[in-house]
Amino acid sequence: MATTTATLTLSSTDLLSDELALTTTATLTTAGTATGVTQASGLSRKTTSAADAAGIQAVNLYRAGDYTANGANKVYIKNCSETAAEYFTVHIDQEEIGRLYAGDWMLMPWNATSGTKAQFTVTIAATWAAGDTWEFDGVTLVAANSTTADIAAQIDALNYPNWTTTYVATESTIIFKARYATSASEEVWVTADGTLNTAGNGTANISSAAVGSKSESDITIRPSVHTAMTYETLLIHE
Amino acid sequence: MATTATITLTSADIAGDPVNVSKTATCTKAGATTDLDQTIGLNRVHLRSTTNKVLLAANAEGNNLAAKVYIINKSEDPSLYLTITINAQTVGKLYGGDWMFFPWSQTDTSASIEVAATNWTSSTGDIPVEYALFHEDTDFLTNA
Repeated sequence: MATTTATLTLSSTDLLSDELALTTTATLTTAGTATGVTQASGLSRKTTSAADAAGIQAVNLYRAGDYTANGANKVYIKNCSETAAEYFTVHIDQEEIGRLYAGDWMLMPWNATSGTKAQFTVTIAATWAAGDTWEFDGVTLVAANSTTADIAAQIDALNYPNWTTTYVATESTIIFKARYATSASEEVWVTADGTLNTAGNGTANISSAAVGSKSESDITIRPSVHTAMTYETLLIHE
Repeated sequence: MATTATITLTSADIAGDPVNVSKTATCTKAGATTDLDQTIGLNRVHLRSTTNKVLLAANAEGNNLAAKVYIINKSEDPSLYLTITINAQTVGKLYGGDWMFFPWSQTDTSASIEVAATNWTSSTGDIPVEYALFHEDTDFLTNA
């Protein structure tokens, strides 16, 4: 079991007429237990920039679907800028949490509530031939033979940038599931067949399509200026 | 008037190499190097509400001003947690002993910080919650 601690020290000798000196330490555990969290994204550092102010884009730091919902996740973010006026605006989904000005850091728990992922089923059927192709998500399958189950296995073995697959050996169906929860344009993705090029009358029909819903708690930050701004972040999670 | 917040994140074994993050922020006014000069002080409440209660009420005058919030769940029971919400957006859960420190944008009066002792029952006992706010607006209103 890993032991990870987070200590906060708040201090001021002149904010109040008495000294402020607060120190607290939390041992980071999994939800509702005394067991230490065991996973971390690692401290990362990145610089944002855009061609002009109109080109400023929010950066998606963490996608909720990648982490345990309702887990005892903790997010650390620091604005490494040294220019006082530069800030990152931190959002969870569409809600603005706050602005991290130059030198500021934050540590907060994160619920990581995701949406649902779109999915659909492809059935390989009818007469295929070796050399037939099926293209989806920018990935092209070239059939090694005419056996539909083998072709389904080939489709399952490919790596899709936006989808994961599930396949049961000897069957001719593959279930595709979106890597990220999103509702945007999924209806097109899941109802449009991939591009099939067959010498026979092979089919790769899509059925059982289900549109997903967007994530409810992705963490994004938006830089205040288009010139270079650097942040650091660390996620400790279940 | 300098108020500093230092975080030290350490772990000898969560990864193959030790994690040791230590950073200090000087709490300043928005976009300036002038120090934050106001605080509501350290507050303590005992929470037994399973529904959201306003811990810090947002004031639209605070929009675009700097504010830093500290909240800690002082329960010694690791299973008792607070659910932190801002404007109906769930932020996360603070389990017994957990704390959070974060900037707070009061985009409008709906951006109040609310807490709920979601899994409280009459047999679990109250959840002690301590919190503080450091801010810059002289007209800032809170429920402290």
